[in-house]
Amino acid sequence: MTRKNQSSRRTVVIYLIVIIAAVVFMFPLAWMLLTSLRPRADIYKAVPTIIPEAFNFDNYRYILTQEKFPRFFLNSVVITSSTVLIVLFSSLMGGYALGMRRFRGQNMLFFLVTLVLAVPYIMYLVPIFVMEMYLDLRNTWLGLILPYVALNLPWGLLIMRGAFSTIPLDLKDSATIDGCSEFRFVFAICTPILKPALAAATIITFVFVWEEFLFASSINVRNYTLPVYFKFLLVETQGQEWGKVGAVVVVTILPVLILFLIFRSFFIKGLSEGMLKG
Amino acid sequence: MSSSIGAEKRRMRARRRLREKRSLLIFLLPTLFFIIVFLAFPLLSSAYLSLTNIRANIFESHKFIGLRGYYHTIFKDSFFHTAMRNQSIYAVSYFVLTFTASLVLAILINELRKGTGALQVIFYLPMIIPLSIVGGIFLWIFSGTGNSFFNLVLGRLGLAQTPPVNVYGDPRYALFGLVIARSWKMTGFTLIIFLAGLQGISKEVREAAQIDGANFRQEMFRVVLPMLKPYLLIGVTWILINSMKEFDLPAVVTFGGPGTATLTLYYRAWTLAFEYWEMGRSAQVSFITAFVILAISWVFNRIFRPETAQRG
Repeated sequence: MTRKNQSSRRTVVIYLIVIIAAVVFMFPLAWMLLTSLRPRADIYKAVPTIIPEAFNFDNYRYILTQEKFPRFFLNSVVITSSTVLIVLFSSLMGGYALGMRRFRGQNMLFFLVTLVLAVPYIMYLVPIFVMEMYLDLRNTWLGLILPYVALNLPWGLLIMRGAFSTIPLDLKDSATIDGCSEFRFVFAICTPILKPALAAATIITFVFVWEEFLFASSINVRNYTLPVYFKFLLVETQGQEWGKVGAVVVVTILPVLILFLIFRSFFIKGLSEGMLKG
Repeated sequence: MSSSIGAEKRRMRARRRLREKRSLLIFLLPTLFFIIVFLAFPLLSSAYLSLTNIRANIFESHKFIGLRGYYHTIFKDSFFHTAMRNQSIYAVSYFVLTFTASLVLAILINELRKGTGALQVIFYLPMIIPLSIVGGIFLWIFSGTGNSFFNLVLGRLGLAQTPPVNVYGDPRYALFGLVIARSWKMTGFTLIIFLAGLQGISKEVREAAQIDGANFRQEMFRVVLPMLKPYLLIGVTWILINSMKEFDLPAVVTFGGPGTATLTLYYRAWTLAFEYWEMGRSAQVSFITAFVILAISWVFNRIFRPETAQRG
């Protein structure tokens, strides 16, 4: 009896600690959200209340109607979605070759793929920058899409190779006998089976590109993506416009947040795999 | 008759093999293109750059100086020394904070039955927020005005300072301020790893320890943590490697300053290339960083391997 009482008291204490920790954890984001909803005068009061005295959406109206933010948002959307699509396509192709075909140099190629995974990304930056300078690709969408595909492809290949190797070779043989071409086999027959792997590759690539700062800030110095725009916004506002900064934070996070809340189990599994990369 | 059928078969087989070879090449084409042009070639050129005294223009005349550049960077460059020192302090404090927080939270959540899914989502959520944005959020919380959240809390605790504490503007605190921001983002990741490990430990083992009269602390240190070792290894290695790649926060929040207080290895390599246009020296710093990262993962693999091997 006492033992049971003791254990239930312990459970309550644990819940209490964990819930306090969760509140502390959510706080920074919540504080930014609340800041973005405050009237300007409220933010710069000597002692602001935790819950704003009045909610207003002026900051959102401002950032969504000015010229810069929507343009850079579009940049991020285009660059991220194209990178995801090209990575999916290329890793389906390459993953099939690495996972279901046998050829000379296969292990060598696979070793190369895993090797570049381990290399810190800053090593690629300077040569890619110089290359794009001479090809005049800087400040274009393509100038970021190409390196982003390259940086995410090894991981996509790793996932797709693993997924393809679970597909029985018999399936391929019977498809071939039925006169199905290899391309149709990969894109029409395998793709539906490989949905979980494709989802994992999508999430890893999406989150990576959406937040990427190192390449974006070095290569696209006029045509920003959102993280780089955010840096210059902080410089520009000099701590005088936290409401607007907060609105940018919220809108920037929103696309990933929606994806996260819909596919949270995929995220936690897929991202955890992906975060182990360089 | 039969021989012509045989010849026909052979020709068909040869044609099929040719077709298969061609299709293989097509399937591998995107992979080869991206890996060769955007990864292998840049990597090799980086290696070459690090052995020269090259500056901005790659086609300008430059000298091959072998390992002398590395010698100069490692022994003569005081900015590199500062970056190395900052990086070590950063790695250790980031490790202590992230590892402790995620392990303690994972152990506590593992004791609970209800609501663990929601808790995982809450602690994992910061992982999806871009690091530059994380920097902005903490810049606001820690900013040096009297009404920033941090200073309000200090005021409530009776620790208010005049002038108010400006965490990222003060060389004493700036680096630790960045540690807190990064740790907030990344804790959820190791938490999930540790939780997965804890859930793999069978209830019977722990109950047996309890019946033998082990208290909670003994149960943890003698039974649970030793069984968690492979997961701890992944966590430790990842946290340390992850902390070596600190670029976004100094670039967005502190610009490596104040002074050189938050100059990290990545940030040093970047400023050498993109502010001083010293491509060769930048490549040297990158390679040294990569070497340190490699060394860390090697060392931790060596330390932990016997146990992990035993566990299969």
